[in-house]
Amino acid sequence: MGKFVFILSILMFLTLPGQPSEASEHPVSLELTDSIIKISTFYNGTTLEASGIIPADADVLLRVSGPKENVHLKVKGKVAGVLWMNKSDAELDNTPSVYMLYTPEKSSKLLETQGVDMGYSALAKGITIKPESADKAFIFAEYVKLMEEAGVYTVNKSSIHYKDVENGQKSFSATLTIPSKMNAGEYMVEAVTVENGHVLGRSEKKLTLELSGLPKVIAALAFGYPLLFGIMAVFIAVATGLIIGTLFKGGGGSH
Amino acid sequence: MIHMYLPIAGNSVNIFLILGLGGFVGLLSGIFGVGGGFLMTPLLMMFGIPPTVAAASDSNQIVGASTSGSLAHMRLGNVDIPMGVMLLIGGIAGGTVGVQVIKLLRAMGNADFLIAITYVIMLGGVGGYMFWESLQGLKKEKTGDSAEKVDPVVEKTEGKSLIQKLPFQYKFEKSGCEISMLLPLGFGILVGILAAIMGVGGGFIMVPVMVYLLRMPMHVVVGTSLFQILFTCVNVTIMQSWSNHTVDFVLAVLLLLGSTIGAQVGTAVSKRLKADQLKIMLASLVLLVCVKMMAGLLMTPTIMVALKGGH
Repeated sequence: MGKFVFILSILMFLTLPGQPSEASEHPVSLELTDSIIKISTFYNGTTLEASGIIPADADVLLRVSGPKENVHLKVKGKVAGVLWMNKSDAELDNTPSVYMLYTPEKSSKLLETQGVDMGYSALAKGITIKPESADKAFIFAEYVKLMEEAGVYTVNKSSIHYKDVENGQKSFSATLTIPSKMNAGEYMVEAVTVENGHVLGRSEKKLTLELSGLPKVIAALAFGYPLLFGIMAVFIAVATGLIIGTLFKGGGGSH
Repeated sequence: MIHMYLPIAGNSVNIFLILGLGGFVGLLSGIFGVGGGFLMTPLLMMFGIPPTVAAASDSNQIVGASTSGSLAHMRLGNVDIPMGVMLLIGGIAGGTVGVQVIKLLRAMGNADFLIAITYVIMLGGVGGYMFWESLQGLKKEKTGDSAEKVDPVVEKTEGKSLIQKLPFQYKFEKSGCEISMLLPLGFGILVGILAAIMGVGGGFIMVPVMVYLLRMPMHVVVGTSLFQILFTCVNVTIMQSWSNHTVDFVLAVLLLLGSTIGAQVGTAVSKRLKADQLKIMLASLVLLVCVKMMAGLLMTPTIMVALKGGH
């Protein structure tokens, strides 16, 4: 009997507070059509499909994020009372180079769910802004604007679509946009499932962008042999100038 | 196939757009003898190229355009090589001093303010004076007064005796003047300092210096300026590639294809225009850039932060 009570109490202990760990034991299924994107000569960004299966009553949020880095900013201000110029410095530590959010229709409530940890307000909490005296909320908001203009920070509302409800489950899909401004590197695509105000589970997939062909050769030369690369660039420029100059002389292009 | 990826700029661009941009700036280069850096860099930035990469790749492109332009002008007998060499030596020396001045200003703070003010004053002053002077010239021509262009010799300037007393007198044949070599050397240094402070090649300051201070004929000014710019930009391209890895070769080649052709067309156009017409057009361009800069300084920016160092 004592043994039975002991086993029962261990089982109760394991089941009672264990919601988050239960969720992570059953992560969301997440698939990407490509996990490696090659950046070749005529690359102009691309798209890829993210899909998976979640419980029929649940919702899913997707996030594409880049490696974290420290960003140095110039904050504009008025000089001599009239001229707008780069006035002071600010540093944002732990900032993702890319932050793209994909949400289904009722996104605002989902983003407020405790533990979701997605969206700009969640992002702001993880970033340290220096100097201490700076207006942090203002600098963060302006930084987001700057990144949005470059196309590497986006919130894509109503971009996740559901279908095929079967056996209490449904499939989701979203088209992820990979802009050409996303540099070669490793990125993370994450999915979070939310149901009735609780996080059910998470899943993540690695997405690699790598240079190939001509861009790879040029980057290797520019960073590996910079002096040689500079001299080569000058020679090719001079040669092109001479060739075009000679061609025009021959063709009598002056009239 | 219409876009191409730029591995150093870390972005892709429309091939035809960049070819067109190159062509436009090459045209200006051929007509006026300016490198066009003061126009190209902001235009490239508008298309998502980081400022440092835009400036360095543009200087690579200018090497090609000015080779093509110099060659065309040399055939027309428009390049005064000894004058170009003196200005170049001065320019390089001045550039080195200018870089140190900028370092000092940055250490003292407020360098950006001084750079912007220098820009606006120089552009406004040079552009305004050229515009007014050429307008007077055109008016005179219309009323039938002395139709001859700028006096090609330094003789009528005040302080003639002082200039003639300077050592190392040399007859610059193409420019049609006999002056001390120290004069172009000194002006070269001055332009070099200003160009380094402003972060530009200095063509648009050098051209007025040659026209108004050295009193060279306008067509020789254009050819000689291109010759001098060629060597300045060779130096800048190699230095930028070596120390900053900011030369995007793909971008430079695309710009080059456009600009070398543009420079040839520009040279042909320049041959058909009168000196005052050339000057008034360049003056308008310089004034336009000045107004744009002033507007940028006076209007409230839409985004109140910018990436430091442009990357």
